[in-house]
Amino acid sequence: MTTAATGGSAPAATGGVLVVGYGNELRSDDGVGPAVAALLAGDPRLAGADVRAVHQLTPELALDASGASLLVLVDAAADAPAGEVSVKRLDPEAAVGEAGAAMSHHVDPAGIVGLARELWGVAPPVVVVSVGIASLEVGDGLSPSVEAAVPRAADAVAAIVEKHGRA
Amino acid sequence: MSQTIVIDPVTRIEGHSRITIQLDDRGEVVDAHFHVTQFRGFERITQGRPVHEMPALMARICGICPVSHLIASAKAVDDIMAVEPTPTGADLRRVINLGQIVQSNALSFFHLSSPDLLFGFDADPAVRNIIGVARANPGLAKDGIGLRKWGQQIIEWLGGKRIHPEGIVPGGVAFQLTAEVRDRILAGVPEAIAAVERAIAWYKSDMLRWEEEASTFGNFRSAFMGLVDRQGNVDHYGGWLRVVDADGQLLADKVDPKTFNDYIGEAVEPWSYLKSTYWKPMGYPDGLYRVGPLARLNVAERTGTPRADEELEKFRWRVGRIASSSFHYHYARLIDTLHAIEKIEEILRGPDILSHHVRSVAGINRSEGIGVSEAPRGTLMHHYKVDDNGLVQWVNLVIATGHNNMAMNRAVLQVARRHVKADRLEEAMLNRVEAVIRCYDPCLSCSTHALGQMAIRVQLLDAGGVVLDELAR
Repeated sequence: MTTAATGGSAPAATGGVLVVGYGNELRSDDGVGPAVAALLAGDPRLAGADVRAVHQLTPELALDASGASLLVLVDAAADAPAGEVSVKRLDPEAAVGEAGAAMSHHVDPAGIVGLARELWGVAPPVVVVSVGIASLEVGDGLSPSVEAAVPRAADAVAAIVEKHGRA
Repeated sequence: MSQTIVIDPVTRIEGHSRITIQLDDRGEVVDAHFHVTQFRGFERITQGRPVHEMPALMARICGICPVSHLIASAKAVDDIMAVEPTPTGADLRRVINLGQIVQSNALSFFHLSSPDLLFGFDADPAVRNIIGVARANPGLAKDGIGLRKWGQQIIEWLGGKRIHPEGIVPGGVAFQLTAEVRDRILAGVPEAIAAVERAIAWYKSDMLRWEEEASTFGNFRSAFMGLVDRQGNVDHYGGWLRVVDADGQLLADKVDPKTFNDYIGEAVEPWSYLKSTYWKPMGYPDGLYRVGPLARLNVAERTGTPRADEELEKFRWRVGRIASSSFHYHYARLIDTLHAIEKIEEILRGPDILSHHVRSVAGINRSEGIGVSEAPRGTLMHHYKVDDNGLVQWVNLVIATGHNNMAMNRAVLQVARRHVKADRLEEAMLNRVEAVIRCYDPCLSCSTHALGQMAIRVQLLDAGGVVLDELAR
């Protein structure tokens, strides 16, 4: 695509911070990313940021990411203790290298960075906020320990965005 | 000693699954199975819910094709309410469904399958992925992303939300279309058409390279099923069911989709959660048929839009009136996408598209309802039963991937027989087995994707299930 009408060649003109919480809300704790995004949607600390809750990362997010100054991703972590909130800055150089090896039905954070850089020549810094989970069973609620971690994860995102704003 | 090769999970399809390939004592493939290991569970968890909630609930089955379930579900509830959507409501549903077709087809072709087509099945997997495509052919990658975004925007603008849209409701749609949104969508049509036509031109220029591969890539005789309109054109939203055999002869035509249970049976195999559907008049397993983009082109006279019909003519000249190789799903998917874009424009230029009559209102008037539509991957059927209070008592979903289940198993077996030998567990060989599954773009849904979950594991098992060898990537 080559016109702004369909968004193919020009980066989305977000210019600011893009926060994406992702996961399947009907697989219990996998929905923690969207839950954090929902909590942040009206948060004054993120005024001006583009906050989204999505089922999974998909390639077109690279277009929006390429126009952002910071991308914060919030996801469930199956390999961490339930309720543990961790923050990891993605190394953009290493990310592009990793992206090629693990492409699947969704795009991983490295894939988003890689696509943005390859196609539009620019990628924002990416910070991944992960929440350790207890269950991936079918169901639309979070485990108590994960539910309790949602405000902490939201605070972590807000702190990242505020720090970015001061920089 | 007989052995089994397991590929688990299959990458670049929706959801999780695995493939086992059974070898005999001489290392020759004797059988193959495509296992679906996830339990969707929606048919159970929706029992007892008010039926008017069903479309919104069903949309949550999948983050990739929520609109397809939303459409089929809303039609089933229309049936229970004994109500016809208003003409404008039905047209807006069509546009949202076609937006879904565009974005999902784009994901399948550009993101999931183009790496194989661009680099070849023997290429290093470190290169053969969407990042590799972005480096080698950035125009192709951008076209895919652009089509995805345009399709998603249509869903968001008309459906209210991009991922789990709520704008489709029993009786029609929730929102009246504004001229501003209509014009915004129409403004993207020329470039969307140009993007998919570039992809078609690229595919055609390269497809001779794959001629031999296509000949054994899930190439077998089968029936095909899809919805057609009164003129026999492709219809993604309504119309009649048509089934043709491998020679194009009509097995059934002008079948009311609400009577599908008279024609379609569902078999359960112990090795998969996915039911295998079959054409009842031919019995199980002989009643194998295929659905999806290839089936839609095989059953229809034409697509019904000019550019897509022009490409369909060339398609049939190249691969025959009834294309039998699963490889041609890719080509068919591009023509299906072109048709969807043209149809979106045609509907949006209709005189009544901005009408405020977008929804018919009614109560519970029947205890049973069926809704059928074409999802990106093929025909989708929702069948509900409710009590007098409209609470759901029973649900059966016949999904496109179920229609194709037997065909996928047949295709895996054919590819495995050609490419898999006991003494070689090579990436390219295994990827061909996976790739033939990707032709059908199966959606196994309910996927989770917590960090650290996705990987591919290849196991070599003996007849007793003991792991003899294992590869991971």
